[in-house]
Amino acid sequence: MAVITVFREPGTMGKEVAARLAGRLGFSLIDRARLVQLCGEVDLDELRLLKLEEAFSKGGALIDSEVEGYARLLQDLIAQLAEEQDLVVLERGSQGLFHNRPGTLHVRFVAPRKFRVAQLCGRKGLSEQKTLRFTKALEAERARYLRFLYRLDASDPTLYDLTLRMDRLSVEQALKIIVTAVEEMGITQVPRETIVENMAPRGQEKHGRFVNDAESEFARFLTFYNIPFEYEPRTFPLETDAQGRTLEAFTPDFYLPEQDLYIELTTLKQSLVTRKNRKVRKLRRLYPEINIRIFYQRDFYTLMAKYGLLSATVADER
Amino acid sequence: MNDKPEGIVEILIQREAIGQRIAELGSEISAAYKDRLPLVVGVLKGCVPFISDLVKEIEIPLEIDFISLMSYADVRRPGGAVRITKDLDCVIEGRDVLLVEGIIDTGMTAGYLLRNLEARRPKSLRVCTFLDKEARRIVRIPIAFRGFKVPDRFVVGYGLDFRQLYRNLPYVGILSDEITGLNRR
Repeated sequence: MAVITVFREPGTMGKEVAARLAGRLGFSLIDRARLVQLCGEVDLDELRLLKLEEAFSKGGALIDSEVEGYARLLQDLIAQLAEEQDLVVLERGSQGLFHNRPGTLHVRFVAPRKFRVAQLCGRKGLSEQKTLRFTKALEAERARYLRFLYRLDASDPTLYDLTLRMDRLSVEQALKIIVTAVEEMGITQVPRETIVENMAPRGQEKHGRFVNDAESEFARFLTFYNIPFEYEPRTFPLETDAQGRTLEAFTPDFYLPEQDLYIELTTLKQSLVTRKNRKVRKLRRLYPEINIRIFYQRDFYTLMAKYGLLSATVADER
Repeated sequence: MNDKPEGIVEILIQREAIGQRIAELGSEISAAYKDRLPLVVGVLKGCVPFISDLVKEIEIPLEIDFISLMSYADVRRPGGAVRITKDLDCVIEGRDVLLVEGIIDTGMTAGYLLRNLEARRPKSLRVCTFLDKEARRIVRIPIAFRGFKVPDRFVVGYGLDFRQLYRNLPYVGILSDEITGLNRR
């Protein structure tokens, strides 16, 4: 599905443009409010989200392994949503997550600091000094998030397809420019296979066509035992709107034709796969003839342990 | 060997229960192959204690052979494929073959062997497994004779190993996550 990532300097009206853009194009807006709603599906909650935000706001030792886990879980959640729906994603490192993904438009909103502070002063009713501190802290937090997760510099202009100077454009003008870019770049027309093949997650060369070490290892395992398999051969629509557009879909990782079995391999801990379990339940209900099983993280590790390979594998899965 | 060695957190199947169940299996197999001469094929190495005790409980004439496969751990490179490291000594065409496994887990090994042996055109080919860990099955295996169903835990003993150890335990035990490394995941 198509994705528009939005990276805003505070005070550039980027959120308003993003919300109107999502409405105009029929995309889902992934902002903080939406993430709070979705958090439950990956066993996060607003409290953990707050902890995550606070840690990245202050930086340093607060970004511990727990916080990192939350951050990566959010990335998984957003990536999963992008398989099901057209999205407009506000920040959250999305320009890193979808860095080279086809079917994606990366937009950045900028404006001189003086303009931005003036905008925010009016809106938030804060003094100029406080607003200045607020904007600097927010900029640092967003940049830190991207650097931590993807080692990318948020100010690098090559991360963006479109950079809009909002002190020179109205919201409507910005909207028109982005819509034109969406149409000209044809991001809604990119076939899913192209996206999967070119998604280029970190370490793509290492994994080949597979998304992570676990999938790669599992494929080797099947090949070793001469079990024919297909990788992500079919997407099952789970929900469509009145126009027949897919709102939610599910693509199991492997299909074993001889067993007529789909396998979804998840590297999330079993306690964190609520969302995936829910989708598999939905799939089973809608497609009762489909035989599918989830191979949880522990299943995979147990399989590796059986061959005494646990210490040698999936060390850098994340 | 009544004391549990380090790493065994629980005895899942006691030796007495094993003996009793194997006697029952021996009777079932004797009845199933009455008036025939089955070839009992053990899959090395996990089957060794089991097949050794099992054949003594089978009351009809039989022949024994063994087969062994390369482990996945030995050839873990892209495109690496399983191969037989010790093939059968017997020709099985037209024979009644009973494949004996220590455990059927994902079913990958048994599935490969069944395909391989089927191609040699035996008269019949059936599977007997000491343990059946059904929860983790990927390849469907028709099991004709089953010792015990076991839960999705890491089991060792009575032929089953972890890094080649624990095979000599006279019972089936659950190995700790500290030993397997699962606790660090």
